[in-house]
Amino acid sequence: MFKKKTMQDESYYLAGQWQLMWRKLKKHKLAKLSLAVLAILYITALFADFFAPYGLEQFSALYKNTAPTKVYWQDEEGKLSRPYVYKLKKENKMEKVDGKISMQTIITEDTSEKYYIAFFVEGIEYKVLGIKSNIHLYGLVNEAGEVDQKARINIFGADSTGMDIFSRILFGGRVSLTIPFVSAAISFVLGILLGGISGYFGGMVDNVIQRIIEVLSAIPSIPLWMALSAAIPPGIPVASMYLYITIILSFIGWTGLARVVRGKFISLRKEDYVMAAKLAGVSDFKIIVKHLVPGFLSYLIVNLTLGIPGSILGETSMSYLGLGMKAPATSWGVLLKETENLESVAQCPWKLIPLAFVVITVLAFNFLGDGLRDAADPYK
Amino acid sequence: MSKGDKILDVRSMHMKFHSKGVTVHAVNDVSFSVNEGETIGIVGESGCGKTTLGRCIVRAYQPTSGSVTYVASDGNELDFLNIDKETMKKYRKEIQMIFQDPYSSLDPRMTVLDIIKEPLKANFPKMPKAEMEKRVMDIAAKVGLNTTYLKRYPHAFSGGQRQRIGIARALVLNPRIIVCDEAVSALDVSIQAQVINLLHDLQQEFGLTYLFISHDLSVVEYISDKVGVMYLGRMVEYAPTKELFQHPMHPYTESLLSAVPVADPAIQIERIPLEGEIPNPANPPSGCHFHTRCRYCQQRCKEEVPELKDMNGHLVACHRAEELQLRGFNYDEMNH
Amino acid sequence: MENYTMHPDNIIEVRDLKVNIKIDEGTLTAVRGVNFEIKKGETLGLVGESGCGKSLTSKAILDINTKNCETTGSIHFRTTEGEEIDIVNMPVPPKRNGKPRVKAIQKMRTKVLKPIRGKQISMIFQEPMVAFSPMYTIGNQIMEAALLHITKDKEEARRLSIDVMTKVGIANAEKRFDQYPHEFSGGMLQRALISMALVCNPQLLIADEPTTALDVTIQAQILELMKELQKDFGMSILFITHDLGTVAKMCDRVAVMYLGRIVESAPAMEIYKNPQHPYTQGLIGSVHKIGTKSQERLFSIEGTVPLALNLPAGCGFYERCHKRIEGVCNVYDPALVDVGNDHKIACFACTGCPNAVNKEGKADE
Repeated sequence: MFKKKTMQDESYYLAGQWQLMWRKLKKHKLAKLSLAVLAILYITALFADFFAPYGLEQFSALYKNTAPTKVYWQDEEGKLSRPYVYKLKKENKMEKVDGKISMQTIITEDTSEKYYIAFFVEGIEYKVLGIKSNIHLYGLVNEAGEVDQKARINIFGADSTGMDIFSRILFGGRVSLTIPFVSAAISFVLGILLGGISGYFGGMVDNVIQRIIEVLSAIPSIPLWMALSAAIPPGIPVASMYLYITIILSFIGWTGLARVVRGKFISLRKEDYVMAAKLAGVSDFKIIVKHLVPGFLSYLIVNLTLGIPGSILGETSMSYLGLGMKAPATSWGVLLKETENLESVAQCPWKLIPLAFVVITVLAFNFLGDGLRDAADPYK
Repeated sequence: MSKGDKILDVRSMHMKFHSKGVTVHAVNDVSFSVNEGETIGIVGESGCGKTTLGRCIVRAYQPTSGSVTYVASDGNELDFLNIDKETMKKYRKEIQMIFQDPYSSLDPRMTVLDIIKEPLKANFPKMPKAEMEKRVMDIAAKVGLNTTYLKRYPHAFSGGQRQRIGIARALVLNPRIIVCDEAVSALDVSIQAQVINLLHDLQQEFGLTYLFISHDLSVVEYISDKVGVMYLGRMVEYAPTKELFQHPMHPYTESLLSAVPVADPAIQIERIPLEGEIPNPANPPSGCHFHTRCRYCQQRCKEEVPELKDMNGHLVACHRAEELQLRGFNYDEMNH
Repeated sequence: MENYTMHPDNIIEVRDLKVNIKIDEGTLTAVRGVNFEIKKGETLGLVGESGCGKSLTSKAILDINTKNCETTGSIHFRTTEGEEIDIVNMPVPPKRNGKPRVKAIQKMRTKVLKPIRGKQISMIFQEPMVAFSPMYTIGNQIMEAALLHITKDKEEARRLSIDVMTKVGIANAEKRFDQYPHEFSGGMLQRALISMALVCNPQLLIADEPTTALDVTIQAQILELMKELQKDFGMSILFITHDLGTVAKMCDRVAVMYLGRIVESAPAMEIYKNPQHPYTQGLIGSVHKIGTKSQERLFSIEGTVPLALNLPAGCGFYERCHKRIEGVCNVYDPALVDVGNDHKIACFACTGCPNAVNKEGKADE
């Protein structure tokens, strides 16, 4: 054998499909960034109890609809100080308007006492991954260094119940970021199964499945959601609600995937290497498992990644429309429901912050999908 | 069994494809027989059915009718078209195939070792792993692959080396017949020569029988003992190579030979032009399929289908084969 | 830029043409200093295996290489008007604020090249099926070039196109004009492609593997057709192929390329009868000639073409060459040397070692 001069080292030659894909993906800067962003989002959602200063039950009427808490860096003399906040107080003010006396409640900062921002402070107790703890990433302590729940720090402001929007975003992420995955998993199974059957057997079976897909994809999705969610009995617990939404979403999601699988199946079946395996006496089942499925798995992953943003938006819009999650449960869609009317947006623009999270997540998935698509076929 | 005995006999094979209401008779009443250790070249232009014929013989397609009699190594005569699955599985491995495209014929997701091993795994599931790998190593070395590179994936290899991998995969089951479907057409000239030499050496060593399907007449002339010419699904001429190239008896063969580009500017052969274009295979002409383009065509050719007649070992399907004096290659002139 | 004058017989002169392709792993030197010229009415065959840079060379002439390609050297072309232009090095517009104006350069190139590309130099591609858009009729696509370069009148363009279609042997051209590509067979489509290339009566026709995808009988037809048309139109042809058989049939002169270099060039008869470069010898030896069957094996060049990335010093063929001289061929790069009879060879083993090496055993630079 002759020596071959190439730029690539032995590891390139020994690299399998997934390694090659990973190598190519690493070159896609935007995809790499997106992967990092998504990792952060998922980690914070998983450990929301830790990262969020408050639990979902901790609301305060005083802080209703308040703007993001102002953080001070300088003390009264203008010297740099440890960052601190003031707690809020309610003041009743008499005012004479047009000769009538009216009472107005004004919420102002109570500058009598400083509350310092501290890290790893004790707060409400929680349990995550089997670990019981009451430590939160950040919180407030008073001048004596003790935890004081009278003051609150709401970095993204508070909603109409006086809950910290930042905490709710993190908890909402748990729902909004996982529903698409669960529904994608169900779509994945349904898509591969029905698409595979369709592509492998062909003929009558193929015809029937293709018609079903056509009918399903011809139904406008919002009315379908409405119909399906009307079928969910009212008053069921939040956890089951979650499950139902997932199933609803996946029943719509599988059709596109099934088509991709079927197409790939048919085109791969014609590859010479499949025929070679057949001639060598390899059984049909082995051919499917060893040659066909690995052949389109990378495409499926790309397809899924690009499909997840759709599911995220689906969950958000369903919840927004009141068809999905409902308060007191928390998801990004539920949070955005507060921005239903213009007045509320005009008065409390910080309530739009959850929207930014939706946008960032969707963009990140799209960029990642783009990168994966470029990397998906390392042999071409 | 000794070299030179009949190993394969194809009798009136038909293969029809139906799609969207159109029937294409891709292989139409083809008969020929092959002796052990021979190389049979099958030539013809695209759409003539030569690839389909090859695939029917390796049983990638189930022919519509006809028979393929294979004389197995144990002396059993089997009609490949009418045997049960068990017997089929036992003998299928004796007829293997080498593909045209060295890129699409290897699964990019398997290492070369796995690719060559796959046929062994499928046919000898009980073979110990060590023996399997030893056989793979042996065969890989035989076809000129560096055995230290077997853990690599196909993308690490060039076209010529990939073709060697494909050959190794076909050989690992110790086949007796190999169908080479345009096995060197996709390769560069210098690599083509390497692979042709390899095929030649392997034939010497293992006594292989080749069915060499190609559109490249120069290569076929070099490698084959006998050549079959196909036109629109029919075998129009089948004869020993020298005989066919020097004294073609079918007008189509005559035209085909005159069109071969010879890599020597000193030799300028006058082309015998074909009239018109290849007819639609779904709707072939009546009588002799070639009559619409034949310059020797008579009324009879339009009506009667000519049979493949044996003329001293030279088989030809032409009504006027006896009377026509057709031009072939002048070997003396070529050697000047 | 220094003044350059073309030989009066030549239609195109390519000098020290280099094409670099930027890929992920670095810069690939795909064409490494190619020199050739084509006379008026002559057919030059550019022969080589895949990856030798023959297609990139032809595309550089039309300036249609992809954006990641960087072309240097010069390509002088004599236009119909008798002007000599350099396709690679266009006159550069004055710098503004000391910065070169990329857009202005591009604009200038397009302005100069537009009347040449497709009119004076045209190209036939390998795959006629891909060269035509399935959305438009054949006639529409042939006419396009005529409308762009010759006339604004649709009727006249149509008449011109039908004329050319008839000339290339498309029977019933009037009717065929309004048909779509899928109604044409492969051979007919290639004829249509040729008529598209010829409709503007080009000075130079670049044929990139024009018959590789065709059957033997159709290939022979097309080659004969091209030869006839060359006589009628008097154009020059740059014929790019890997098939030594078609080259023997078609070309007056042959240049053999290996790894981005021309290693040997000579009149066709000479190169087949008296090949000198070991690569040319190997290439010709590895093609079987009908009627010459012997018991011998086909000659084959061992090894494969290396990738043109980080090439070592010396001759590109060194690793595969059976005549290699150690200490010379892997140190110095052989230049194309004229050995008489218009026969040029780039090989130390054929033309003798570089003088410096002979005298002192090392190069003087």
